[in-house]
Amino acid sequence: MVKSYPSRLKRRMARQGWLSVIPALLFILAVRGYPLIFGFIKSFTDWTGIGAGNNVGLNNYIHILTGSEFWTLLRNTLIFLTFIPIQLIIGLLVAVLLYEEVWGWKFFRVVFYIPQIISALVIGYLFSIFFGYNGPINKILTEIGLGALKTEWLGNTASAVAIIIFCLVWINIGWQAMLGLGGLASVSPSVFEAAEIDGASFWKRFFFVTLPMLGRTIEYSCVISVIWVFTGIFPYIFSMTKGGPGYDTTTIDYMIYLQSFGSVSNPGYASALAMILLVIVLTFTVIQMRVSNKANDWGD
Amino acid sequence: MRSRTTKQKLTQALVFLILMVLALSFLYPIFYMGINSFKTKIEYRKGNFAMPQSLDFTNYNLLIRNFKILDAFGNTFIIAIFSVLISLIIAIFASYAFAKLKFRGRMFVYLFIISTMFIPAQVTMIPLYYLMSDVHLNNTLTSVIITYVATSLPGTILLMTTSFSGISDEMIEAATIDGAGYFKVVRKIVIPMGMAAIAINIIFNFLGASNDLFTPMILIQKMEKRTVMVALASLMNSRGGDPPYQLAGLTFSALPPLIVYIVFSKFIVKGITVGSIK
Repeated sequence: MVKSYPSRLKRRMARQGWLSVIPALLFILAVRGYPLIFGFIKSFTDWTGIGAGNNVGLNNYIHILTGSEFWTLLRNTLIFLTFIPIQLIIGLLVAVLLYEEVWGWKFFRVVFYIPQIISALVIGYLFSIFFGYNGPINKILTEIGLGALKTEWLGNTASAVAIIIFCLVWINIGWQAMLGLGGLASVSPSVFEAAEIDGASFWKRFFFVTLPMLGRTIEYSCVISVIWVFTGIFPYIFSMTKGGPGYDTTTIDYMIYLQSFGSVSNPGYASALAMILLVIVLTFTVIQMRVSNKANDWGD
Repeated sequence: MRSRTTKQKLTQALVFLILMVLALSFLYPIFYMGINSFKTKIEYRKGNFAMPQSLDFTNYNLLIRNFKILDAFGNTFIIAIFSVLISLIIAIFASYAFAKLKFRGRMFVYLFIISTMFIPAQVTMIPLYYLMSDVHLNNTLTSVIITYVATSLPGTILLMTTSFSGISDEMIEAATIDGAGYFKVVRKIVIPMGMAAIAINIIFNFLGASNDLFTPMILIQKMEKRTVMVALASLMNSRGGDPPYQLAGLTFSALPPLIVYIVFSKFIVKGITVGSIK
């Protein structure tokens, strides 16, 4: 239904409308828009934070893409991404069990979400204490006679990467399960009942009925999780490995921090790195918007 | 028939057991952190898993008296409260306009604001740091508040606009005909009707602001202005030889969000299933 308002009312509405959104717009232009443009301009300079810096053209970008650890950082992020399928399987399994209202499901639902509530920094430090040389994991190993396995878990590449991936799965199980529950709620229960009457086993039902029905939820959580790995795991890296050993667990966003506020001060160079990160994230955002456009009929 | 129900019961028990193990993996670290925070260094080295011999608050006393952690809590609290409130007020008016007022450019401005949600904080942080120094806001709580307002606005506006769109136009029109002005409509209709969305935004923005490390770590260097997370990072870096002391710090900083969660858990769980925020 299209409504028509008299023009006097229309003008008043337009004035009220603009006045209502201007504060939000100003905040965002000043704190997100202006720094973005400023950073873009500085990404073509050798700016050190003092003065204006000299124009160096595309040198920062060329150096990042050809002569730096950038590809190592990208490789690290890609390896971390393997947490997503694990998170999906475990999270959605949990969602199905919660959906079937197994005994204690309300309690489990609250508990599984705890890692999303506590600060990422606290969780990262807890991991670093648990996997520290004198930490509980090594204590248990010693006590059950596997003292030979005692090691600095976060100090060597293979185990550090494995622990970070484990951590990413662990903190996101609850999130994934909640998302799965939301998805399941929009599927008609008769679908699951039909499969059950047909005598399909639990696993058959899970892989051939439930997962396909949750296609959109899966797409959505994949894209969100990819963006999150590129931009959201800074506090975990900061508290668990500081990007080490070497650069083996450093991600792009952590490198931006190191290059601008860490041991060196190369904000011009770091800005170029930031622009590359932005392009990566925007690419996935566009994919995400396609996905959520398709998923507009989710309902809630 | 009977064997089948026994089998079902067994499966149920097994499922419960697996979920319980998973639940314990979330609860045990918190429990571990709590009990060991009451131990001395020596007691901790002797046994990580035993209950503490006595409820010794020395670590907490040190955190409060020497480490001044309550000052950090004060700073975090000020930042969280003000950023949440300012963002909320701005977002309520903006979302009302996006949802209910027709004006040219509305869709464009809306999409522009929402799209800034996808600009990573790391991308704008470097210039922002120098910008804050230029306007002499470096080392102030204000700089962090301003940043949080801007970063939380898009998500808040997105959820609230969706929620406010559900308010019936007839209701607003009827109020307008009765002589209610702009502010009265917002106060008497929009806010009460959108209360669920408003509340969930308050909780999540509050948790987000108090759990964040990156922004205050960059914008604030002064000891007396640091937030809990920044203080925690320095505690963890400097006191590696004293795990119980560190665990006391971790427990202290994990408590406020946990309390908020326990109090509002029912509500939060409902909110996530609808909004699925990350």
